[in-house]
Amino acid sequence: MSAYIARRLMLAAPVVVGILLVTFLIQALIPADAVNTMFQGQLSDDDAAEAIKVMRAKYNLDRSWFEQFLIYSANILQGDLGESIRTRQPVIDEIGYRYLNTIQLTLASLVIGAVVGVLTGIVAAYKKDSWLDVTAMTIGLFGISMPAFFFGLVLIFVFAVWLQWLPVIVQGWQSLILPALTLGLIEAAPVSRIARSSMIEVLSREYIRAARAKGMSEATVIFHHALPNALLGVVTILGLQVGNLLGGAFIIEVIFGWRGMGELAVKAIQWRDFTITQAIILMGAGTYVLVNLAVDILYTWLDPRIDYSAT
Amino acid sequence: MKKHWLAFGALTAMLLSGTAMAQQTDTLRFRIGEDPETLYNVNTISLSANSALGDYMIERLVHIDRSGKASPLLAESWTVSTDQTQITFKLRSGIKFHDDTVFDAAAVKAQFDNILDPKNASPVKPFIGPLKSVEVIDPSTVRFTFEKPFAPFFNVLAGPSFGINSPTAVTRLGRTYGRSPVGTGPYKFKNWVAGTEINMERNPNFRQFRSDAVNKGPALTEKVQLRVIQEEGVAQAALETGELTAAGLQADVITRFANDPKFNVVVAKNATNLVFLEFNMKRAPFNDPKFRRALSHAIDRKAAVEAAWSGYANEALGPLALGIPGFDKAVVDRHAAPFDPAKAKALFAEAGWTRVGGKLTKDGKPANFLIKSYAGFTHIERTLAVVQSNLKDIGIETKLETADWGAFYPSLLRDEYDMDLMRWTFNDPVVLSNLFRDTGHRKVLMPNPDIDAILNRCDGLMDPEARLTCISEAQKILLEQMTIVPVLTNWIVIATQKNVEQYNLDFNGALIAADVRIVRR
Amino acid sequence: MSSLALERAVEARAVIRRAGWRWTLRQLFRKRTALIGGAVVLFLIVCALWAPDFVPYDPFKVNTLNRLKPPSAAHWLGTDELGRDLLSRVLIGARFFVLVCLISVSIAASVGVFLGLIAGSGPSWLDVAVMRVIDVMLAFPYILLTLAIIAILGPSLWMAMISVGIAGIPGYARLVRGEVLAVKQEEYVEAMRALGAGPAAIMVRAILPNVASSIIIYMSFQMPLAVLAAAALSFLGLGAQPPLPEWGAMLVNARTFLRTAWWTSAAPGLAIFVSILALNLLGNALRDVLDPKSK
Repeated sequence: MSAYIARRLMLAAPVVVGILLVTFLIQALIPADAVNTMFQGQLSDDDAAEAIKVMRAKYNLDRSWFEQFLIYSANILQGDLGESIRTRQPVIDEIGYRYLNTIQLTLASLVIGAVVGVLTGIVAAYKKDSWLDVTAMTIGLFGISMPAFFFGLVLIFVFAVWLQWLPVIVQGWQSLILPALTLGLIEAAPVSRIARSSMIEVLSREYIRAARAKGMSEATVIFHHALPNALLGVVTILGLQVGNLLGGAFIIEVIFGWRGMGELAVKAIQWRDFTITQAIILMGAGTYVLVNLAVDILYTWLDPRIDYSAT
Repeated sequence: MKKHWLAFGALTAMLLSGTAMAQQTDTLRFRIGEDPETLYNVNTISLSANSALGDYMIERLVHIDRSGKASPLLAESWTVSTDQTQITFKLRSGIKFHDDTVFDAAAVKAQFDNILDPKNASPVKPFIGPLKSVEVIDPSTVRFTFEKPFAPFFNVLAGPSFGINSPTAVTRLGRTYGRSPVGTGPYKFKNWVAGTEINMERNPNFRQFRSDAVNKGPALTEKVQLRVIQEEGVAQAALETGELTAAGLQADVITRFANDPKFNVVVAKNATNLVFLEFNMKRAPFNDPKFRRALSHAIDRKAAVEAAWSGYANEALGPLALGIPGFDKAVVDRHAAPFDPAKAKALFAEAGWTRVGGKLTKDGKPANFLIKSYAGFTHIERTLAVVQSNLKDIGIETKLETADWGAFYPSLLRDEYDMDLMRWTFNDPVVLSNLFRDTGHRKVLMPNPDIDAILNRCDGLMDPEARLTCISEAQKILLEQMTIVPVLTNWIVIATQKNVEQYNLDFNGALIAADVRIVRR
Repeated sequence: MSSLALERAVEARAVIRRAGWRWTLRQLFRKRTALIGGAVVLFLIVCALWAPDFVPYDPFKVNTLNRLKPPSAAHWLGTDELGRDLLSRVLIGARFFVLVCLISVSIAASVGVFLGLIAGSGPSWLDVAVMRVIDVMLAFPYILLTLAIIAILGPSLWMAMISVGIAGIPGYARLVRGEVLAVKQEEYVEAMRALGAGPAAIMVRAILPNVASSIIIYMSFQMPLAVLAAAALSFLGLGAQPPLPEWGAMLVNARTFLRTAWWTSAAPGLAIFVSILALNLLGNALRDVLDPKSK
């Protein structure tokens, strides 16, 4: 297993290199950059021309994309992520806490989505075709059809303004509640569907009938025998969604003021702050590799039939 | 059973914490739309940074008083040399920065040296135009030397970009100074939770020298918290629950708060912003003043005011916003081109455009133009929609293209558009020179010798009366040429909680923070 | 090099239907959910093609005297912040919904299926190479990729559709690759190869029909996601440009009126919801028909 992990990590290296190359290539194609944007109020570019030249040289923006790629690669190997063009502060200051925030939100949403989704799916599968099943699946369809920003705003109005259970401007750990609920409940929809169909399939298998015949309690049958196998599909879908959550939660982050990577990414592109976008891409790629690895390892745990030593 | 009590207790705690915060009277809680990139005024021209600094923490040498004239603040008095290239300021004594160092001429010199230093690449530098150097004559006298007379200087000097920072702190903190500014203002910096909030507390040694302030001593409220809330709906909700002391309002919700007895609404009509249509004069027919004038007659400004600001704006007919000293209503009324579809049609005909099948056509080609603007602001979108609809009624088809400001503004330097909808805020008539002199701020205007001559003349007239007369003439010429088509100037509308008193805005619409107090009910 | 289990677990595995498409369609018509879903989709297509002919008002005419009027006999869904009739805008907006679904899914599916096919049925170095490329695409944060594309090419509905499409490519590629790898090992394919059939023939005659049903089911679930992704771009002002009545953009702009004029959100919101529901119902029905295991 550790050999497998080592191999996977090694194979990830060309992916990361590839991503960085693409990054600098795309950046070269983008018409403006942060220096232009910073001096947006410059009413006579002649006055500012000198200043712009100084700044561009400082951030290597006057070199070819390939040179920039090489310089950047050399820097990150030494652990230097550079300085934000816009704030002139080290990138790591900006990204560090945001990365942690995004991880927090992602985990919280995944937990809510998984728990609510799996429970709903189990109930729906168990009481298949009953009104409970139909209701659950219909509500689930809401989750798939609902734009996240809409749902988020509705939740704010319901919980903060109408019910007044939470302040609008939330402090501390409480600020995680609404955004995690928004994302989590939306996540629960596809999870419950997959959980339901997986459970239905698993519950019809031979060994379940055998377990029941042996006289085991329903609870044991469901949770101990059936669920682990049904979870394979759930883990897959959650694994796929992690990418979405990490990257696409920017609307939720903007609405709830959650200082995460998504919001930073949007702002960084708008400001053309390339040092920040490069760091985001790097961290995104790294996370992707790790998450994939984690999902695959989770598979072996859930389904002992899958064996990686041969691959 | 126990679990229920726990949940109940947690809920109650949350409820109480929410309402408790709303009752606090020792903190002013305001909203800013985005996190400033830095709080060092030499390194930024962003509105968020400058209002955070200028309203609370740093002070300038002069301020604009209620009559729109530059008045002493940190400077006691000044004299202008006979050739008008030197201004000597006499500074007030006994003022200290928040770090207890002395405010003196050396501090002023340091501030401007930092701006002028090319190594700092300060985006503020172009605003002080021909400033050559700043010298210390004695600890309370400082002299500014210019290459040529620069009339806008006093208004510019009153802006937050030229507030004075403590040179000791700037030198000591170096690169991180922008994370903890030190000034002489009524509030001192306490902390900045990146991306979330900026906290400040009362400066006990503060003395108020503004002529338009009620309170002459330290600030009336102990703390200030600026909270970053990007989403309008969330800011509104926070205002409703009492978590924000006051907040600026977007047009759509103004009426709701205006009619709600729990809030006061403060409206400042003398705003210095202007929303206007600009032209890429490198492309026909926008090089034809008649065509531009016809366009001005085609725009229904009242509809734009209604749609974009629910009525809380002024129709703008002149190139200078009505809040900028120098705005001449008489000149505007005489030379402007207000909404008049009949006149528009006549002028289009004169310019060689005929109506064919409902579309304005010239030389066989129907009118179809691209209008660019920036995204992210509903009032701009609505104004665009009204403009588009008005032009369609006249027979001109338009395509709209919006991008966020960082992409939009630089893109105007490239040739591929016909018109753009722009909004500009500035408190001095030099904005006319900044925007319209020579080829204009985006280099797409046709240089006009009359315009250039008058603008250059105005910038060099140090005598305020003479300058005002010159600015009137400038407005006349710009209207005759219809260099831009003005659309509207929106009012500043702020809703405050009922228990807030003395929430006063100065001539430029900025908050006089030391006056504000929350009354306990 | 993601594990086979990933592909296996993802979507329904189609069993060969020797009876073909006619059987499938007949089964489909028997299901009520399919009929409802199909009817709505049909209505959408009709709107997309002919709405300008039967809308009650001009969806672009600005009438500031008529702003924010609630639903009434004259305006069934009310008017928006510029006085435009919401019913007309929603009907015209169907065309953009259909466009977004078609274009983004076409881009994603055509490129993705092609990549998946050559990866699964080609030599192993090709498989590794293609999967690396897919990995690079997946590892690149979607939002940055999309915004960068729009920054280069300019904001418009077309750019939004293209970037959403590009982002969808890896999904199809992985799905098809997995299916191909699984089918490759089936006996009848071995038989074909033994009988001397070339790789192209095998791909077209044996692999594609199997994979087709999975692709179709996957598509029906991806379409709603594409629409929501396009709506997300409208949030940043980078999708459909005003005054296009694209539902996502309408919903985004209506959010300031969430409490003062709820109908401005309800109209596009309901439209989105009903349409996505219809697509899901159809997708569900398809899956039920084509994969007995999920019953």
